[in-house]
Amino acid sequence: MKNRPLHIIGKARRRVDARAKVTGETRYADDLNFPRMLHCRLLRSPLPHAKIVSIDARRALALPGVHLVLTGADMPTTFGILPVSQDEHALCLDKVRFVGDPVAAVVAQTELLAEEALALIDVEYEPLQTISAPEEALSHPEPRIHDYGDSGNVHKAVALSFGSVEQGFAEADHVFEDTFHYAGNTHLPLETHAAVAALDPDGKLTLWSSTQTPHYVHRAVAKVLGQKPSRVRVISTPQGGGFGGKTDPFGHEIVICKAAMMLGRPVKICLSREEVFYCHRGRHPVLMKLRCGVKQDGTLTALHLQTLLDGGAYGSYGVASTFYTGALATVTYHLPNYQFEGCRVFTNKPPCGPKRGHGTVQPRFGQEVQLDKIADKLALDPAELRLRIVAQPGSLTANYLRVQSIGLADCIRSVVRRSDFSNKHRKLPYGKGVGIACSSYLSGAGMPIYYNDMPHSGVQLKLDRSGLVTAFCGVAEVGQGCDDVLCACVAEVLGVEVADVKVVTGDSDLSPVDLGSYSSRVTMMMGNAAIAAAERAREIVATAVADKLGVAADQLVFAQGRVFDAAAPEKGLSFREAVVLAEAAAGTIGTTGSYKPEKPAALFKGGGVGPSPAYSYTAAVVEVSVDPETGWLGIDKVFIAHDIGRALNPTLARGQVEGSVYMGLGEALMEEQAFRRLPPKLSSALVHRTPSILEYKSLTSLEMPEVDIELLEDPDPNGPFGGKEVGQGPLLPIMPAIANAIFDAVGVRIDEVPITPEKILKALAQKAAGKPGRIGPKDFPSVSYPAPLFVPTPWQGGDGRATNEVARPKDKRAKNV
Amino acid sequence: MSHNLSEFVACSALTLPEALARLAESSDPERGPWRPLAGGTDVMVTMAAGTLPVGRYVDIWPLAELRGITVTDDSVEIGALTTYTELRAHPVITAEFPLLSLAARETGAIAIQNRGTIGGNIANASPAADTPPGLLAYDAELELASLSGTRVVPYARFHSKYKQMDRRPDELITKVRLRREPSPSPGQPIHYYRKVGTRAAQAISKVCFAGFARIDGQKLLTVRIGLGSVAPIPLRCVRTEAALLSGPLDEALIRRAEATLSYEIMPIDDVRSNLRYRRTVTLNLLREFLTRCQGR
Repeated sequence: MKNRPLHIIGKARRRVDARAKVTGETRYADDLNFPRMLHCRLLRSPLPHAKIVSIDARRALALPGVHLVLTGADMPTTFGILPVSQDEHALCLDKVRFVGDPVAAVVAQTELLAEEALALIDVEYEPLQTISAPEEALSHPEPRIHDYGDSGNVHKAVALSFGSVEQGFAEADHVFEDTFHYAGNTHLPLETHAAVAALDPDGKLTLWSSTQTPHYVHRAVAKVLGQKPSRVRVISTPQGGGFGGKTDPFGHEIVICKAAMMLGRPVKICLSREEVFYCHRGRHPVLMKLRCGVKQDGTLTALHLQTLLDGGAYGSYGVASTFYTGALATVTYHLPNYQFEGCRVFTNKPPCGPKRGHGTVQPRFGQEVQLDKIADKLALDPAELRLRIVAQPGSLTANYLRVQSIGLADCIRSVVRRSDFSNKHRKLPYGKGVGIACSSYLSGAGMPIYYNDMPHSGVQLKLDRSGLVTAFCGVAEVGQGCDDVLCACVAEVLGVEVADVKVVTGDSDLSPVDLGSYSSRVTMMMGNAAIAAAERAREIVATAVADKLGVAADQLVFAQGRVFDAAAPEKGLSFREAVVLAEAAAGTIGTTGSYKPEKPAALFKGGGVGPSPAYSYTAAVVEVSVDPETGWLGIDKVFIAHDIGRALNPTLARGQVEGSVYMGLGEALMEEQAFRRLPPKLSSALVHRTPSILEYKSLTSLEMPEVDIELLEDPDPNGPFGGKEVGQGPLLPIMPAIANAIFDAVGVRIDEVPITPEKILKALAQKAAGKPGRIGPKDFPSVSYPAPLFVPTPWQGGDGRATNEVARPKDKRAKNV
Repeated sequence: MSHNLSEFVACSALTLPEALARLAESSDPERGPWRPLAGGTDVMVTMAAGTLPVGRYVDIWPLAELRGITVTDDSVEIGALTTYTELRAHPVITAEFPLLSLAARETGAIAIQNRGTIGGNIANASPAADTPPGLLAYDAELELASLSGTRVVPYARFHSKYKQMDRRPDELITKVRLRREPSPSPGQPIHYYRKVGTRAAQAISKVCFAGFARIDGQKLLTVRIGLGSVAPIPLRCVRTEAALLSGPLDEALIRRAEATLSYEIMPIDDVRSNLRYRRTVTLNLLREFLTRCQGR
């Protein structure tokens, strides 16, 4: 397929599902209605940490129209997204761990009735001490929120050392030490979580759910309900956004399955916005310390990164999140020596998990702001400094990540040129500023979540005499456009229009497994699987046509709905005629393709987090205005360049960049998953401060600046048609670029996210009083990290193993996300 | 989460006498007195959040008597059911009372502006409401009606404590009355409005500042300041105003006004901001207002 001219890939197109979305015909989970359907609502804990003494549902059950009340005892089997963190119950069994933890479920005739019945369930609790913050979790091993984890309320503590940071610091001309805090925030998809469960006439269970990971939900439902997986069908409905918030299996999905099985009637649940704040799985609050050694010319000699993650009440993806806070520091800039220590603790708050940029966003903020400080100290242009230290393409990093293409230098040059950065930086009037930052992100996790040797994505094609090509794949369309990419990849290889390809996605009964819409993996993995399946189909068709036309099969061109002789284009058939020939010659046509990433080069424990078939790169320049009267921060313009390898559909790719910028601005300026104590007369419980969109603010169109985008295309050898990810990476540089621009504008450092007017005014007041104009954490707490695994770097002759690691069985390898 | 929707009682009134008759009914031991429901933009939010006490609501939206803006030679009367959208668009309001149209423009989303009313904004008695600072700066009056007649209350004396006001349960706010400035009036008019929120739209204010002044050379002839979100009630800053009228508007007077204002406001820490920020910004905005009065 190399060197074939492309007809569909790379051309800006309207996505295949656009019309249905624009006309409102797309059927989201909450749009599904069935005869005799009942409705479910959940009773949630009013206490942050307590034992459940008793639950009495008699009054609720007595209410006419209430069909069922479920409690934890009805589904005692645990589940969780990671095999190492099976710590959730569909409904709390013996204790509650945060305000909002689901305790009981009512299934009733109407949603309103179910809601009213919740008030009739009597739950007796025995309160336990609340662990409200990471420092508290470290200092209070008791009471334990979970009876598993590394120790006390420490869920996971890890330490990895690549090369020798001590030697690196010794070689440095300057050593910078900075602490940063990145507050938690949530995904805020427009669509709240919704699901419907029903039995088919043979008693087989079907679950429709707004999930990004139908395959993992399938496993969790089967496990908790004790069903054979073949007797469970999970369908991922089109979603109004997920951003990582719908990548865990959730208790409410299991609850309605159980209810549908018990009642023999369809059951629906649609969470309220408040409940989505409790489901959360959003950005971990991370406190971090970076010690960085630098030569006078800007060369980095060593980085020692320490992170402390506030995990909330459950494991979720937390073990992976912890590793991710340290995994990608090496892919952006060349780091000869690197040490990473990470720790995730449990607290009595809604569980944190993966949000766009999973775990890499927080340290990226720290590293990019620190680089700005370094450039300032060394009197280097911050763009020039970054150009000097960009990681090398086709290399193995200190932590054994295999990096192919790196377009970062071109990205930096692009944003510097377009924004006229050099003529603005440190040269604009007071109150105006520019800042630059960069990032990289993985195009799909190299390892599956549960260890196995099977493909990460599979595509099946059916071709028949109608000329229609049907593509089956288990991917979840969360709004990112995977259905469109699937159509485009197949149509490109077979030379047909996208309208001639029909996709059947996200249905465990019909489509082969794809692991899910997370880790920016879908285009990479589904795309490669689709190309493989389409190439096989093309071969079958080409063989039959070659026979008929008397032309060598490799002489045939598939384009514009025809199959023809490259040497004599008029000699050929329509694609439909070609399929008729092939079906007659070879029988019914079905092909498959699958994709599995190369095995990671890292062989040490924890090395499974970070490897990816390809890494995308981004650079951004942000222009800001700071109003010294109110601290108001205006974003004037964003220039962004993204190394995408190849944009399969530039319309979608640009949408992802704009969406990432939008989300990044929200995180930078105002979004925060914050908590408060209720007044003592109301229980003093630790509650979400603003569980509504009324007060949890994100950007409106009035704050959204113009976004000047350039997509840089240097095809990656591993990507489908050379493509790399675009869904997450472009978010990462936004927050640090803003922090750096504020320093340029008014000379204060805000080493925290979100950057609110309150913080800016306070920093300005401190500066005016002759104190440091900085807002940020003052110190980093003492964390008992384990002794590090020592891994010699490739340039030290290392082989990817740790020198001090005891041998471990193969199936205990760290799981990736 | 609202567990108790079916316990609420609601009815619609089609005429003002009918509404007043409802409000005059004696209080229900369980559900309290009838409470007026206008645009519902506050009531529905608290209801959805599950924090609205169970009660009886009389929908006054259909009352034609409470709609419309009447302009006479010396006053403008705004019906209590006048929406933000109507305030934004009215030519006399935008020309002579621009603080109100600016406030209306920055209140909520378009849908809220179509539904929310000036009477509701007042009666909800939120210290963070958007139109009260402007009403205070223009020294508005309210007309309240009940079965026993009507009375007029200066708006500056309407709110007493947090969520408490000079309105009996049987009374309905029917009108907001503004005095038009005679033409010509002495001095140069200055209208200053600034709402500081988390974002440029659809945000409840952290600080809301509305100032009206007439200045002749260095001398303020009139000055009235209304503030939102810095006290338990929408705050008319009478002491700061008095300080500002005590001499020529120079740097010394501005400093004295700042000192007075910093004691006159009572900001707090809450979910939207903190005391320190509110105090700093209020004083910065006062200076910006006075600088504008100075013509700089």
